[in-house]
Amino acid sequence: MTIQEEEYSIIEECRRGASEVYAVLVERYQEMIYNVAYRMIGDSEAARDIAQESFIAAYTALKDFRYGSKFSTWLCSIVMNRCRDYLRSQKQMVPLDGISELVAKGPNPEVILSDKQTARDLHSALKAMPEDYRQVIVLKHFEDLDYREMEAILGVSANALKVKTYRAREWLKKYIEKGHGQDG
Amino acid sequence: MDKDLLQLHRLLDGGLSPEDEKDILQKIEADPRLQREFDGLVSVINLLEAGERLPVDAAFSSEVMKRLPARNEPLGKKIRGFLFGERVLRWNVASFVAVSAVLLVITVSGLFYQSSGKSYRVADSVVPGSAVKTVSLSFNAPEAKAVSLAGDFNKWSVEAGAMKRKSDGTWTIEVPLKPGVYHYMFVVDGEGWVSDPRAESYRDDGFGNKNAILRIDSI
Repeated sequence: MTIQEEEYSIIEECRRGASEVYAVLVERYQEMIYNVAYRMIGDSEAARDIAQESFIAAYTALKDFRYGSKFSTWLCSIVMNRCRDYLRSQKQMVPLDGISELVAKGPNPEVILSDKQTARDLHSALKAMPEDYRQVIVLKHFEDLDYREMEAILGVSANALKVKTYRAREWLKKYIEKGHGQDG
Repeated sequence: MDKDLLQLHRLLDGGLSPEDEKDILQKIEADPRLQREFDGLVSVINLLEAGERLPVDAAFSSEVMKRLPARNEPLGKKIRGFLFGERVLRWNVASFVAVSAVLLVITVSGLFYQSSGKSYRVADSVVPGSAVKTVSLSFNAPEAKAVSLAGDFNKWSVEAGAMKRKSDGTWTIEVPLKPGVYHYMFVVDGEGWVSDPRAESYRDDGFGNKNAILRIDSI
């Protein structure tokens, strides 16, 4: 039995009311969903709440799950939607003025990126990044999904997502180049 | 975004044909600007992919499972949810009378379900020198069709701790546990989560109920 077949069987049991088997899916994907939420919103406590609520929302909506798709992909689309809602409710505005200015100036040829950039640099870069760029970066580079899976999660064509990912990388490169050495 | 830059990104995604890959690699070698772009993007991807995942705490899964909504709840469970669910009450005389009546019902139910005395006893392990203790727990519920023991020691599984019914309506189970502090509840007929009325102490479970606390000493 493949993992997908096993998951379909678990979903079927849950639909019949055997909720306890859902724990298998929670334990399998809890780390992925928590980390997606954390990368998206940058707050570990709120990410934990959103991740838990996403599992509960998925369970409640299991009747809408379409066989043929991957449970993890479907779950990821739920957590992404919740992150978007959270960010909007928090009115967590990105300091776009400063960043746009930096990006508009273009890359600084004197600065070569270092692999020793700290997690703090990355964290602040993600927080500053526009939300639609952050979505593709999280899915493509943190969760290692392919463009087809991202298409299913975000409801945007794979080709459009490729272009968005390229732009997001360029944005991040310019951000880090400009910020390199300034934070100490 | 110019064509060469697009090809750089496609190269990084592994999406180029061998001919296109050879072509862009030659361009990178020949063009310092393209070389810098490429190095910068590789650094960005390395930085992203070196990011470690945050671990999830041990309670995450059990908390989700306890918060799952019940499907096709029977009337009894709905009543219990109404009685024990957290909500804001606006008090008046009628509310006071109603709540008093509910408290009376709960008290009577408690007496019916359980007699007095400690609900568990701890025996030494059958394996000499082992730290594991055999803990016997009991719960009196003559009208229940099934009772199970769910706790953090069995990941709050409703099925793992099925208890056996004795002729007097007492349900019992023996579980091997290492010394430590455990939280548990009884699950009646697969749905009703009931705190052990004879536990030595309790802790709020965050969902309007109280987990019983079981402490197993090492000596």
